Amino acid sequence: MAQELTSVGKRLPRPDAAPKVTGAAEYGSDIKLPGMLAGRILRSPYPHAKITKIDASQAKKLPGVEAIITFEDVPKSPFTRSAMAEALPPHVYEGEVLDQYILSDKARYVGDWVAAVAAIDVSTAEQALDLIEVQYEQLPPVFDPVEAMKPGAPVIHEGKERNIAANISHAFNCGDVEKAFQESDYIAEFTGQNSKQKHCHLEPDVALAYWDTDGRLTVWSPCQNPHLAKKAFARRIFGIGEGDIRWITPTVGGGFGARLSLCVEPVCAMLAKVTGKPVKVEVTREEDFAGWNSRTEQRQSIKMGANKDGTITAIRDRIISDAGAYFSHSGTTTAVNMQMTLGLFRCPNISGEATIVYTNTPTTSGFRGYGNPEGAFVLQQVVDMLAEKIGKDPVEFRLKNIKTVGESSFFIPVPLEHCRLEQCIRLGAERIGWKEKWGGWGKKKEGRKRRGIGMSIMNHSSGAGGFLLEHSNAAIKLHEDGSATLIVSPCEMGQGILGVLSQIAADTMGLRYEDIHVMTGDTDVTLFDIGSHASRSTYVIGNAVMDAGSKIKRQVLELAAEKLKISADKLDIEEGRVYVQAAPQEGVSVAEISHDAIYNYELTGAHISATGSFQSGTHCPNFQAGFAEVEVDTETGVIKVIKYVIAHDIGRAINPQNVEGQLEGGAVQGLGYALSEDFIVDKRTGETLSDSFATYKIPSILDIPEIEVILVEEPVPSGPFGAKGVGEPGITNVAPSIANALYDAIGVRIHSLPMTPEKVLEGLKAKSLKSSSFRTTR
Amino acid sequence: MIKELANFKVNGRLYEVIIEPHMLLIDVLRDKLGLTGVKYACGTGDCGACTVLVDGKPILSCLTLAVTAKNKNILTIEGLAQGNTLHPIQQAFIDHGAVQCGFCTPGMILTAKALLDENPTPTREDVKAALDGNLCRCTGYVKIVDAVLAAAERIRKGGKG
Amino acid sequence: MYRVLRPFEFFEPTSLDEAIRLLNIYGDRAKVMAGGVDLVLKMRLRQLMPQYVVSLQKLPGLDYIDAGKGAGLRFGALVTLRSIELSPMVQKEWILLYEAIHQISSVQVKTMGTAVGNLCVATPASDIAPALLALAARVKITGADSDRVIPVEHLFVAAGKTILEPHEIITEIVVPSLPTGTGSAFMKLAKTAADIAKVNAAVTVTVADERCKEARMALGSVAPTPIRVTEAEEILQGNKLSGKTIARAAEAAAESVTPITDVRSTAIYRKEMVKVLVKDALEKAVARAKA
Repeated sequence: MAQELTSVGKRLPRPDAAPKVTGAAEYGSDIKLPGMLAGRILRSPYPHAKITKIDASQAKKLPGVEAIITFEDVPKSPFTRSAMAEALPPHVYEGEVLDQYILSDKARYVGDWVAAVAAIDVSTAEQALDLIEVQYEQLPPVFDPVEAMKPGAPVIHEGKERNIAANISHAFNCGDVEKAFQESDYIAEFTGQNSKQKHCHLEPDVALAYWDTDGRLTVWSPCQNPHLAKKAFARRIFGIGEGDIRWITPTVGGGFGARLSLCVEPVCAMLAKVTGKPVKVEVTREEDFAGWNSRTEQRQSIKMGANKDGTITAIRDRIISDAGAYFSHSGTTTAVNMQMTLGLFRCPNISGEATIVYTNTPTTSGFRGYGNPEGAFVLQQVVDMLAEKIGKDPVEFRLKNIKTVGESSFFIPVPLEHCRLEQCIRLGAERIGWKEKWGGWGKKKEGRKRRGIGMSIMNHSSGAGGFLLEHSNAAIKLHEDGSATLIVSPCEMGQGILGVLSQIAADTMGLRYEDIHVMTGDTDVTLFDIGSHASRSTYVIGNAVMDAGSKIKRQVLELAAEKLKISADKLDIEEGRVYVQAAPQEGVSVAEISHDAIYNYELTGAHISATGSFQSGTHCPNFQAGFAEVEVDTETGVIKVIKYVIAHDIGRAINPQNVEGQLEGGAVQGLGYALSEDFIVDKRTGETLSDSFATYKIPSILDIPEIEVILVEEPVPSGPFGAKGVGEPGITNVAPSIANALYDAIGVRIHSLPMTPEKVLEGLKAKSLKSSSFRTTR
Repeated sequence: MIKELANFKVNGRLYEVIIEPHMLLIDVLRDKLGLTGVKYACGTGDCGACTVLVDGKPILSCLTLAVTAKNKNILTIEGLAQGNTLHPIQQAFIDHGAVQCGFCTPGMILTAKALLDENPTPTREDVKAALDGNLCRCTGYVKIVDAVLAAAERIRKGGKG
Repeated sequence: MYRVLRPFEFFEPTSLDEAIRLLNIYGDRAKVMAGGVDLVLKMRLRQLMPQYVVSLQKLPGLDYIDAGKGAGLRFGALVTLRSIELSPMVQKEWILLYEAIHQISSVQVKTMGTAVGNLCVATPASDIAPALLALAARVKITGADSDRVIPVEHLFVAAGKTILEPHEIITEIVVPSLPTGTGSAFMKLAKTAADIAKVNAAVTVTVADERCKEARMALGSVAPTPIRVTEAEEILQGNKLSGKTIARAAEAAAESVTPITDVRSTAIYRKEMVKVLVKDALEKAVARAKA
């Protein structure tokens, strides 16, 4: 089919942009329902305490207060905040720890949810919170995972000895690493600690809920996976059927993985149930910071061996993950960390083990990259350390060990069908000026300000096929005017997926982009989909859209064939018009076909419509090389990123502007992760000190370096029009490439994120102490 | 608690609202006037999402007592387009991919308008300095700067600014 | 954590006498409001819970910037940071003040916030305060009893606290003209470009005949209040401004402070950065003085 693509590949404006620039877009907090109550949550001031008594009598007397709930009023069955866990295979789900209740009888971090109020307005609700008297029996807290694992440490969850929530082995351990290390010519090891990076989606969490008189629940929230959240509500929390819940997703103000968790929806639904009225629960930014979503802090030691010819021989990875007070996504992010990190390079001996530990700090979850940035920070530095020992150029060392098509992907059982990583590395290196700027190992640099250059590579998923239930469905119907409504259930949280799916739909059916109307965000209408995460939406949902679209096209062609009296295989559709391939001036509009199909008085009519489905069994990895040039002020320790280059194996950019937007946005989040975002909890009180944008610093517009994006486009056969996923990858290579550039500039490596000026100076001091002591002992 | 009947001029229209001194301008705009385009994102004055223009100047409505905004000319995002014709900044944001989740967008656009009203020929650095009080977590800012510069050029060439 | 403010009574006096009268009556139960950026936030967080708020916004005659050649700079209590930033006279004659304000990231905060208000909040990390200290600025205070004029450096008592009595308002800031041969510089370190200082430094040096005739140096974020570093000033005064002298002054400045570790930085780093920033600031100020 030599069809010209009129939408795919074009920088088309997304359909959700116009309402956003006019203020018409409706986010959760903009929604008003008649008779709506305001809900607010009472949070624990203590990091670890049993609630011995809650007296809400004074609060209940306050005029305008309609309900107050505590742990006594909520369902007793525990669940996990990770709604995404519903997509895990049952035997894997067994390993998920269900330790969450809507409201707890025990506070496990400062900010843990103790009670909730529904009142006529926020002011009354907040006054009521102040009147609730809670008696706490304070328990000794523990804030560090290593401390938490010591015998005698305070027990945070009953039955979890030494606060170990889970032990996880890498799913694809192989070979014998110890033997391989003994036989390796070179070994390098690096221990690194990432941070509890906060998502900082600009829209704070919000939910509305209403149980109608039939007992059917409607929830409104910026949820990334509403069909899965529905199941969690139905089967784990409220004991109702999936058909008894309708989940509506309004416009979403950013997600980045935070909205894969059940946030304030359970509390909101509970308040709505008790009051019989619609309830809206909102939280302040301070509450969000001391809350239920952030990256999990994963300390890992990676040891790597290689031979003098530069072949990697063995990798050993040991991780301690600080889950925070509840399990949530900490298990899956750690597992994915190991998968993506240990599966990147060709290596016959791999050992990965992880321990997930509870601490009395805010709950963590999944954040863009989902374990990949955590692992990359450590792995890509070990790789450079090994390259230095061997005396090999970091570019060359990586090129020698990356996998090629036919070998296993990072998800070992599935072979790599497509990989352009080598091209990404070469193009990125050229663009940053690697040959001119990398002076070799051990080059001494002079001056107060020193420049350095560093790189990092990664692989990521286009959906977690083989690991998660990667199942998407789409529906399309034609209108009488030949336009189409596309019904899909990703989560449009800003990535532009609605536009991308419309472009895919348009070119699949031969319609114009502007003739695709998108319907999304209502589980009563949309078919099952696991939502947007794992960078899956373009690849998996795109394929489901193509499935539905091809069926529509076939229906149209068959009807057109009857009308034109020419067989369908001699026809095609372009820009809303069916035409005869051999004689294009002959044809009929799709509008006419669609209209006449409905307004058919021969009793043979139908509404042209179709559903499409796609299940992916592969991660169809995308790849990326990142290159950073930095300038380090050796007197202040400040690292300035001069330039950052991204070369990404995208398969095909359905909308290049969107792809750039994802990569640029991810890169700037990566910049914050690398340099300025420091989530600090007071080690004495457990209070979150990083509780606002004043104390937790994400990059501002003046902080961005020059960013260049190179899209390496070679279509992957299994992707819709050859596309791979790209939602998450932008973030992963930033911190490690800056870390490697830092080493190139000043010979210092930092073992924890963020790489602050304070740590840089400490590193410089330690380095000069080492070298000076070496001089004296000579 | 003294309630007063206050006059607000928003987007060229007069409103009468019952307010109390402790009410924030953002809440009067959103809850009383139904102008939900202005967004509450941090409440500490660090993110700029709540920016509206008062007498042409960008201010943070989440830290402004409504009572101090009486009788002043307030412009919210809803007042920027002329009927169905988008302001060049709005159009540029769409065209250049400067809108992702959109939560920072109304504040960002209004702050950009204040910049272009004051300085119609900004450099890239001028744009960044003017928007440094507006945080965005989605776009990485690159296309926002592109959009504002494109809008400036469009306005110079006679697009209605 | 709170989303809404607690109710309070609000006054918008139209004369200074009226404002002071109200403040005198209500004392500790009242708070003054100019721009309100800091006050409204603290009220939401319940760090301040005034029953009465007295707004200065309707007071006439407080929104002026007077800058005459040689006559110094005077501006009133209602002058916003943005107005000062945009004043061509300030940019030309008091570049230190301009730079300290210009680097404050948010145009919105500068549009709403007043310089006087910034001083009254008395945060140790103020960017304006060190600049005004280094410029030998004075503030005019009007109260129920009398008026007084004091140097800015005598304004601060503790973190978040000034010497102002409840019935007193700062009505004016006066910044003297800088003698010819004066150069100045403002330096700051922070996590991002839109952030409160880890350390900030402001210096002015007047150079005559190759020697330092006068020097003023102020630091922020390294003590409970912005401070003047007279030890360092004395090292400079009367001497040639060589690299060695500058280094000694920077060393003395660092020696004189005991900063804290907090969510922004560590005590060790702050102390070391005083040395670096003072050196950098002095080198820049000297270069400007000679130009």
